[in-house]
Amino acid sequence: MTQELLMSSTETRGKPGVRRYAMVIDVRRCIGCMACQVACKAEYDVPLGVFRTWVPYRVTGKYPTVKKQFLPRLCNHCDDPPCVRACPVGATYKLEDGGFVLQHYDRCIGCKACMASCPYNARFMLPEHRTYTDITKVVDKCTFCYHRVIQGLVPACVQTCVGRSRIFGDLNDPNSEVSQLVAKHATQVLRPEQGTKPHVFYIGADRNLTDYGRAVYKRDEQADIERAVFNRNKHI
Amino acid sequence: MNEYTVFHTMAWPSAYAIYFFVIGIASALFFFSALSWFREDYYRPLREKAFYASFVLLAVGGLLLIGDLSQPGRFLNTINPAYMNFRSPLAWGALNLMSFGLVSVLYFFMMRKGDAVNSKRLAVIGSLLALGLPIYTGFDLTVHQHRPVWSTPLMPVLFVGLSLLSGAAVATLLNQGDEKLASALRRLMLWSAGAVGAMLISLLGTTAYGGVGAELTFMFLTTGTLGMIFIGVGIIAGTALPIALLLAPFGRQQVGMMAASVLILVGGMALRYSILYGGQILQTYY
Repeated sequence: MTQELLMSSTETRGKPGVRRYAMVIDVRRCIGCMACQVACKAEYDVPLGVFRTWVPYRVTGKYPTVKKQFLPRLCNHCDDPPCVRACPVGATYKLEDGGFVLQHYDRCIGCKACMASCPYNARFMLPEHRTYTDITKVVDKCTFCYHRVIQGLVPACVQTCVGRSRIFGDLNDPNSEVSQLVAKHATQVLRPEQGTKPHVFYIGADRNLTDYGRAVYKRDEQADIERAVFNRNKHI
Repeated sequence: MNEYTVFHTMAWPSAYAIYFFVIGIASALFFFSALSWFREDYYRPLREKAFYASFVLLAVGGLLLIGDLSQPGRFLNTINPAYMNFRSPLAWGALNLMSFGLVSVLYFFMMRKGDAVNSKRLAVIGSLLALGLPIYTGFDLTVHQHRPVWSTPLMPVLFVGLSLLSGAAVATLLNQGDEKLASALRRLMLWSAGAVGAMLISLLGTTAYGGVGAELTFMFLTTGTLGMIFIGVGIIAGTALPIALLLAPFGRQQVGMMAASVLILVGGMALRYSILYGGQILQTYY
């Protein structure tokens, strides 16, 4: 029996003749060492206060049986990316071959429509000053390390992942590790109800971490202190 | 605290709320000025005054929008045909804004020349473009499918209602004692305030009974400081109270109408601010 795929004009997953890169994050293997976060910062000179990838965690359970749950986050390189639709000047675009969602930095006007449209909050405004590069005051995000991948390398965070929690590859290639993992395991994606068709797949993610937590409404004083400390680095 | 959180910033700050406010008033005032060519008996005293106020507010709105860009020098990219992305409401908005500005300038010259035929033509074209301004600002929010209070078909209609309401309030303040005009504006304020009130009730209802994101947005919008701004200033003081005031005998007098207008303007700003912020608070935690 043939299987028909429901695809929009922008989608590249399952499209013959093109590559569709994706990342699988096996949450069961993540130890929360934050090496991915550091590697990404080093690769791109990501300034303080903003992140291309970040690893939030929550401690669950009751002492002494407590557990840290991690949920590494990054741009989901959606197959139907709302940020591409939202950008008025076409500064955000999607590559047909590979499915990378990338950014023309010289074209971005900084209207932040892409930031508002991203359901994963994967985008941020680069601060005015950076250490090594002069790309500033435009919106940035994870690029799936496009410059490395076209040279046959894997993204910096995948390269550095100690527990081999992050796996990267071509989902359209049935022999790749990512397509085999997605085929064999029950995977989760963030906010599937948004219809963006994200291409970061999680294995073993807790639903309570992937959705909005009701606890954010009852934020305590400590959260406000942490936010104030965090925001101090925003304008560096 | 048992969490490590990256706190995201809000994409659109209060400059956008002020922009929504002034551009809404600018479009309604142009509409009233245009209407004066067709309903001379009611709107004639507003023709010049409303147009000048509209033009000044349009310039203020444009500058606010450009000033909020982190690369203001690149604002011309929005009208560069090689860059334009027609799937983005912002691209349509930029075109609409520019065309409206252009038509406003032509309208000014025709009006000064006393060319009634061309003024009427430009009044009609300008009114359609003016209507496009609150519609596109509403669409700017509506298209974000994951922001509960924004993503509703109600938003463009609500922004048109708010535009008419705030515009009528400013027109009332501009009116220098013309009774027929005052009566027309009073009726307009009553109808548009009623429509805005009904839309706000349905907006609150659908947000309160949505999923977890919508429910949290509802809670942010109805409690604390934002609750005071949205419910207290926006709905009660800025919508319900002016309706009551305008229905009372005091509301038929000029002082009463002016008091209602001031309340409407404060409420209109509060509503735009809280809707803009309410839709974004949750994202700062996700």
